Amino acid sequence: MRLHRSGWVVATALVAVGALTLAGCKGGGSDEPSKPGGAVELKIAFWGDFGLDELKAKYEAANPNVKIVLNSGEYNAQHEDLQKKLIAGSGAPDIAAIDEGFIVSFRSQADKFVNLLDKGASKYQDKYLGWKWKQSLSADGKTQIGLGTDVGGLAMCYRTDLFKAAGLPVERDKVSALWPTWDDFIKTGQDYTAKSKKKFVDNGTNLFNPILGQQPVGFYDESETLKMDGGPKAAFDLTLKAVGAGLSANLPAFSPEWNAGFVKGDFAVLACPAWMQGHIKNTAPDTAGKWDVAAIPGGGGNWGGSFLTVPKQSKNADEAYKLLEWLIQPEQQIEIFKKVGNLPSQPALYKDPAIADFKNPFFSNAPVGQIFSKTAEGLTPQYLGKKNGPTRVAVENVINSVQAGTTKPADAWAQALKEADKASKA
Amino acid sequence: MPYVLIAPFFILFAIFGLFPLIFNGVVALRTWRLDDPAQDGWAGLANFERLLTDEDFGNALYNTFGIFLLSTVPQLLLALCVAFLLNRRLRGQTWFRVSMLLPYITPLTASTLVFLVVFGRDTGVANWVLSVVGVDAIDWRAGKLQSWVAIATMVNWKWIGYNALLYLSAMQTIPRDIYEASALDGATAWKQLWRITVPMILPVVIFTVVLSTIGGLQLFTEPMLLDSNPASASGGSNGEWQTIAQLIYKVGWKNLNLGYAAAMSWALFLIIVVVAVVNTVLTNRLGGGKR
Repeated sequence: MRLHRSGWVVATALVAVGALTLAGCKGGGSDEPSKPGGAVELKIAFWGDFGLDELKAKYEAANPNVKIVLNSGEYNAQHEDLQKKLIAGSGAPDIAAIDEGFIVSFRSQADKFVNLLDKGASKYQDKYLGWKWKQSLSADGKTQIGLGTDVGGLAMCYRTDLFKAAGLPVERDKVSALWPTWDDFIKTGQDYTAKSKKKFVDNGTNLFNPILGQQPVGFYDESETLKMDGGPKAAFDLTLKAVGAGLSANLPAFSPEWNAGFVKGDFAVLACPAWMQGHIKNTAPDTAGKWDVAAIPGGGGNWGGSFLTVPKQSKNADEAYKLLEWLIQPEQQIEIFKKVGNLPSQPALYKDPAIADFKNPFFSNAPVGQIFSKTAEGLTPQYLGKKNGPTRVAVENVINSVQAGTTKPADAWAQALKEADKASKA
Repeated sequence: MPYVLIAPFFILFAIFGLFPLIFNGVVALRTWRLDDPAQDGWAGLANFERLLTDEDFGNALYNTFGIFLLSTVPQLLLALCVAFLLNRRLRGQTWFRVSMLLPYITPLTASTLVFLVVFGRDTGVANWVLSVVGVDAIDWRAGKLQSWVAIATMVNWKWIGYNALLYLSAMQTIPRDIYEASALDGATAWKQLWRITVPMILPVVIFTVVLSTIGGLQLFTEPMLLDSNPASASGGSNGEWQTIAQLIYKVGWKNLNLGYAAAMSWALFLIIVVVAVVNTVLTNRLGGGKR
């Protein structure tokens, strides 16, 4: 086919379109370094509720040259996305939040993050809980990839209205006295289910995780060896006992059914790290005043808590660090605590009246400031191995299959050993 | 000049198709762990050897083929029947044909999320219908067979209309007088379908079989979202419905073992090629073709 002149025009246009398409595929976002005097755009990626909405406006007002972009997503997805962007070498946010469940695998890639010690972060070392500072420090101790935001000291949230209907005490201290140990807790649960014909806890996995968090050694010891016989076995046995007693509503944590369970009152208690307060409030706003907070059986423990990091590929690392530094200052941390309930990881703040005297109206005016700071101070943190995340999912799956009736309780532990072993070698 | 005109496609294909394929092959022959950058280097066929004895891969293969059979076979047969019905003179022909295509243009995630409501354990529509018929409620996530059925249902819903339209367009090209002649010889509608229609649209049938094979063996979104914890990619608490695509995702992004994940995806590629060839030959035989 011979082409006329117009054919050439079309062909050239097609090639041009192709080239433009390719150019358009280059990732946008924070790749462009900002020109001096121009506006700086800082992207923060996180999950859940970090209480940043109002702080964003505050910081932008104080720093007119900065524009903050909040990127909130799903917990696992955000961590995986960060991992992908770190490999790709571009597209990562200027500030990435990382949870303690993932921090070990990211701190072993310390070369992909800005070393905050170079930016002068060492002056904050003494302000933090010692273990919190260490958690985000690289193995050789030379690179600090992040600064801690909150800790997940554990308490037990319970529904006063449901307790009352089942003839159980509703007073905070009396409820705490019901369950000094987990066995007592299971007894209370049987009492509750017998009287109310309802389930007591949301899911076996949400018993397993806090009980495991209370053990001196979790899935892995400091040498990264899988240790199933100690903590995990104890937590697993107690969990199966509770499941066997028919206490579990079998609602998978963080699923839509689970969220609906808050609204419908499908369960009466929930192991509660400080950050869970925000989740309950956002999920079931109508249950305001029906919740209260008691002590968790078996002493202190930790579940979750996060860090803010600056990936090396950020073109505005200096500005990003300035914002990060501002976010971890006491005023902002207290602000976040009041707004969302996330407990700061700087112990000096626990004595601050803003936290020490804070009562949460949503939780029947429980003195959550005192309750949660006590849990954080009495904490001997656990070492979370590199493979902690996948191992936990593997064991949770076994618990879920017992609840679904596909695995016999008698075979469950052998199954858990096998799956955990597989996950540790994966 | 013709080369210039087709260049855009091939340039794009080289960058987004060919290069990733080759790069993936290279990664498959190396050790690459994100959680341990120090472990790096040439692995040869070690990743592929590991595949042969990997229980999880065997389980995923079994699930993938199980769901594939449950979805593709009924899907194509039903599509054929639907096309056969739509090929008659109907009132509101266009409306019927357009509505057949609606499931196909619905975003997959949206339709899957609706199906999750249908297949809920405690408050699902499917279990409510079963209870009306007098059957006990089923926990759709608690076993291989029921979870496969749930996933196959979602896949079928999406693709029956699409395949039916392809068949329909092929059927429109068959001359009417063949049917008239066979009717004079006393052929029933059923016989006409299998002895005239299917052989005459065989190329399109083969095309849909190959396409369904490629799509079916790469099933990812539906099994991923059926999980009560979509982020775990484990396909049920015991891997009841974990497909190969899910396993590749899990090995790569959960276990951070990119070398092994790449080896798995190459294995999947080879499996798809073999199965697609076998299916083509089988379809050809069944349809009585001589190609």
